[in-house]
Amino acid sequence: MPDQINAYLDSDYEAGFVTDVEADTLPPGLNEDVIRFISSKKSEPEWLLEWRLKAWRDWLKMDEPRWAHVQHEPIDFNSISYYSSPKSLEDRPKSLDEVDPELLRTYEKLGIPLHEQATLAGVAVDVVFDSVSVATTFKDKLLEAGVLFCPISEAVHLYPELIQKYLGSVVPRRDNFYAALNSAVFSDGSFVYIPKGVRCPMELSTYFRINEANTGQFERTLIIADEDSHVSYLEGCTAPMRDENQLHAAVVELVALKGAQIKYSTVQNWYPGDKNGMGGIYNFVTKRGVCHERAKISWTQVETGSAITWKYPSVILRGDHSVGEFYSVALTNNFQQADTGTKMIHMGKNTRSTIISKGISAGKSQNAYRGLVRMNPRAEGARNYTQCDSLLIGDRCGAHTFPYIESKNASAVVEHEATTSKVSEDQLFLCQQRGIDPEKAVSMIVNGFCKEVFKELPMEFAVEAGKLLEVSLEGAVG
Amino acid sequence: MSGFDQNAAAALTSRADAQIWLEAFRDLNRQQWLASHWPDRKTEAWKYTPLTPLAQGDYLRFPTAGKVQIERARYDIPGLDCQRLVFVNGEMMPELCQLSPAREACCVTRFCDADEQQQALITQHLGKIAEATDNPFVALNGSWLEDGVLLQVAADQRIEEPLHIVHMTTPDQQAFSVRQRLLVALDSGAEATVIEHFTSDEARQNSFVTGVSEFKLAAGARLTHYRLHLEEEHNIHIGGVYAQLDRDAHIDSFFLGLGSRLTRLDLRIQHQGAGSHAQLNGIYLSKGTQHIDIHSTVEHEMPQGSTSEVVRGIVDDEAKAVFNGRIHIHPNAQKTLAELSNRNLLLTNTAEVYTKPELEIYADDVRCAHGATVSQIEDLSLYYLQSRGIDRKEAQVMLSFGFINELIGALRHEPLQRLLRPILTQWFGKDSGLTRHLL
Amino acid sequence: MLSIVDLHVRVEGKDILNGLSLEVQAGEVHAIMGPNGSGKSTLGYVLSGREGYEVVSGSATFEGHNLFELDAETRARAGLFLAFQYPVEIPGVSNMEFLKASVDAVREHQGLPPYDAVTFMKLARQQSASVSLPPEFLKRGVNEGFSGGEKKRNEILQMMLLEPKLAILDETDSGLDIDALQVVAEGVNARRSDENAFILVTHYQRLLDYIVPDFVHVLANGRIVKSGGKELALELEEKGYAWLEPEVA
Repeated sequence: MPDQINAYLDSDYEAGFVTDVEADTLPPGLNEDVIRFISSKKSEPEWLLEWRLKAWRDWLKMDEPRWAHVQHEPIDFNSISYYSSPKSLEDRPKSLDEVDPELLRTYEKLGIPLHEQATLAGVAVDVVFDSVSVATTFKDKLLEAGVLFCPISEAVHLYPELIQKYLGSVVPRRDNFYAALNSAVFSDGSFVYIPKGVRCPMELSTYFRINEANTGQFERTLIIADEDSHVSYLEGCTAPMRDENQLHAAVVELVALKGAQIKYSTVQNWYPGDKNGMGGIYNFVTKRGVCHERAKISWTQVETGSAITWKYPSVILRGDHSVGEFYSVALTNNFQQADTGTKMIHMGKNTRSTIISKGISAGKSQNAYRGLVRMNPRAEGARNYTQCDSLLIGDRCGAHTFPYIESKNASAVVEHEATTSKVSEDQLFLCQQRGIDPEKAVSMIVNGFCKEVFKELPMEFAVEAGKLLEVSLEGAVG
Repeated sequence: MSGFDQNAAAALTSRADAQIWLEAFRDLNRQQWLASHWPDRKTEAWKYTPLTPLAQGDYLRFPTAGKVQIERARYDIPGLDCQRLVFVNGEMMPELCQLSPAREACCVTRFCDADEQQQALITQHLGKIAEATDNPFVALNGSWLEDGVLLQVAADQRIEEPLHIVHMTTPDQQAFSVRQRLLVALDSGAEATVIEHFTSDEARQNSFVTGVSEFKLAAGARLTHYRLHLEEEHNIHIGGVYAQLDRDAHIDSFFLGLGSRLTRLDLRIQHQGAGSHAQLNGIYLSKGTQHIDIHSTVEHEMPQGSTSEVVRGIVDDEAKAVFNGRIHIHPNAQKTLAELSNRNLLLTNTAEVYTKPELEIYADDVRCAHGATVSQIEDLSLYYLQSRGIDRKEAQVMLSFGFINELIGALRHEPLQRLLRPILTQWFGKDSGLTRHLL
Repeated sequence: MLSIVDLHVRVEGKDILNGLSLEVQAGEVHAIMGPNGSGKSTLGYVLSGREGYEVVSGSATFEGHNLFELDAETRARAGLFLAFQYPVEIPGVSNMEFLKASVDAVREHQGLPPYDAVTFMKLARQQSASVSLPPEFLKRGVNEGFSGGEKKRNEILQMMLLEPKLAILDETDSGLDIDALQVVAEGVNARRSDENAFILVTHYQRLLDYIVPDFVHVLANGRIVKSGGKELALELEEKGYAWLEPEVA
């Protein structure tokens, strides 16, 4: 690999800084008392406490999944603190002005000034700072449209019937090891409800940040799009530098009722660890949506961060004529490991799914696509198309593809294709010979490689995604 | 005894006088078999293939030798000049065999007839290409090993006539097990053709067959290989083909699996020298309540190798088919070209196809691709045939046959094409009217 | 022989034919010309029974049969032939077995015994020579790896073997060099008789130099907007379709 490329690879993590906010943090460890503490801190109703405790009991009986193409030391779940909330938030800020200025500066350093972005892009931002939501904007405008958008901890009190009906309806309490853990200890997250026939007047956005040392984040997000409604939701994540690995086990549930459309976009740039593989976030996420008749769920993700990513945003195509999409860019560098993909479960007639996955591996990283396409016997006329491309940068990384295809319907059509390629020295030389520096050349090639996915991102996100990719690629290219 | 018991299987021994020099090998395999985990749904490599038919069967005995009448038509490949070995229920039938006199260029021998030199060669390679640790059933095969076939070709010798090895079963009073082992060692620049032909008489079979083959190809050697599973559907077959290719070696392998109660075939090619090439084609057909599982693995360990793999399957009725095609490019294997295509036709809503083409790549300067499809016959092709007056059902059969006939047409030995086409036609022939235009 | 009355056809929710009427008698050759997207190919597909072509209203009667009540193969056996604009490739199914299967099917329908293999092979070789298709093309997969011209010759070969009453040639001339065009024309002319009829769907008048039509129709927006004798084709060649604008619109 040319030297200048190595130099490019060696740059530091830009979002690596720690916000000094006094926090109310539970000592490490997980037991029934911790769950009761979390639940009582949030003044939760009895049924939810029970729900958490059941999940916890299930979790105790479960084993960590070992099938992913990732390696890590065993996680000591008793060394993790399961609750942390910034102290200054005991009294909720009523507007952005009341938000801790330290916090706002954090976002500015990341290049995403909250109010500016909110006003310029017309985005309502629900900021999750560690575990508690601190600010929600544009609430009034959304309320006018009948859209409910608030922290899930509030929704438990405000819209108990919706929570009780849908929480765990897509990702059951004991779906998998990490989902069970999340169900037991989930801290906070977003709740969205779009009423029948309503087109959400703006993109909804949340920025997650892990801040407190050794605090796991266990967000829980629930989005319900009622019949014929439409919503686009953006999720962005960055985290400051820490030496110890931090666990993140979120659960996202999407419910698209008849004719509804949900577009869920993620840019994930959590701390990936240093170039020697020290530190970084373990991102073990369960994301799943269910589509009723004619509904559509589209997942778009740009995954550039985390030491380990374990994530399979999935769609259960339950209703006839429903549509599932998965567009993914996963970039790994240095010692990062990603095992990500999707599941498309076709249950209804004439259901359609499209999977476009672009994996970019650099440094000594391992990047795997793992997917499942299942055609159930009732899925008459269902179609799937999957395209998985891998780009290798340098000769010490790995790119892997594990697509599971299960078909039980004769009229269903499943098509899967995968290719691998590399950024060749010829390509780089050509660019250099035309006066383009290698960094730029690599970034151009990688951007071109990811184009099909980027065009699925909302405008204001696409720009950020491109930027993040470029930052993550720094030094990654050979 | 009833049921397939792991301990009993290990205890099941061959004749007391069976080849003492293989005892250490059997021991090692026996230990490995006992140590291995009985595959279940949580075992990734067996996820879709329950071993219930084997587990519940009463197979733990070897057949009693007896005289059987075998029609020549059951094993003959008309028009093929070949050396032939015929085994019935694991027992060699000398009167049906047809071997050229032993010569230095090429030797075909049974393990039990091996001279000291040959024993040394067998000991050197046996279990090193298909390792007992790879798969519990390789271990089981090894722990039962008492005999096998060795084909050895000397350097730069081209053997034109194929070695045709027929493994035939015929039902016995009680269910039983048959084990087969083949070792092919081609010295540098040697060329040979091997046909492994598993068949049976028409009666309802009651055997569990385990056939494991190991191929060692030295630099520049070339092997053409056919593995035909044409047994009656009540047999169980769990076997494998394992090949190691040295520099510039070349293997051209074809398998045909006509489903049975349970057929599982593991194919593994290791490219251990630079510039080796593998062409791996295959067809699996599954109908009724049959279950067939093909697991192929290609290991590119050295640079500049290439692999082309084309596998097609048709699944009908309530049958199941599993295909797992793994390509693994090691860090050293730069400039590798590897391609895999797996296409499936699913004919009913009660049949099931599970396919997983896998790529695991640790070198950047490679070109790898795989594709997998599951579908039914294309509407446009059907319409084209219909618009020429051909009945829709007949058109469906013609197109299904065409789907696999492409691979049959690519077989290097025409007598095999002529052997297989009618067998395949018969497979589709629920109604002979539908197949009258095939061939 | 063929009577189409006020035919309306929809494809994927779009109206393609909007009240097309056409009478074809035995012994006649009709040419249908028209700009791209006028519905020319749809006519061939809907008459021959391709799925996905929804007959909204109108009728098509062929030799006394209501065409739309018959499946594709029965129409073919009754003597309706469509030469495809884009002949389909079917790898693995040999051209010979394909031809024999279709000829046998048509003969069976007519109450004739199937040809024995040797006789048919002879016949097929003979006919393929007459369309200048070398005999090895009979052994290859149907249209597999054939050039554009070879595919069209193969279509004509099928026509000669099936001996249809009505043959619809869908842009059989497009993409053909002059030699291939002559082969196609000779094939058609050889089959012209008082009992047979042809519909030539074409974009250019060139083909009509070789196969002289009795009638020329202009198709636009899914209807026949002008009909005439062979001179109409020359007029179209000279002036294009624009002068028909009022009718077209």
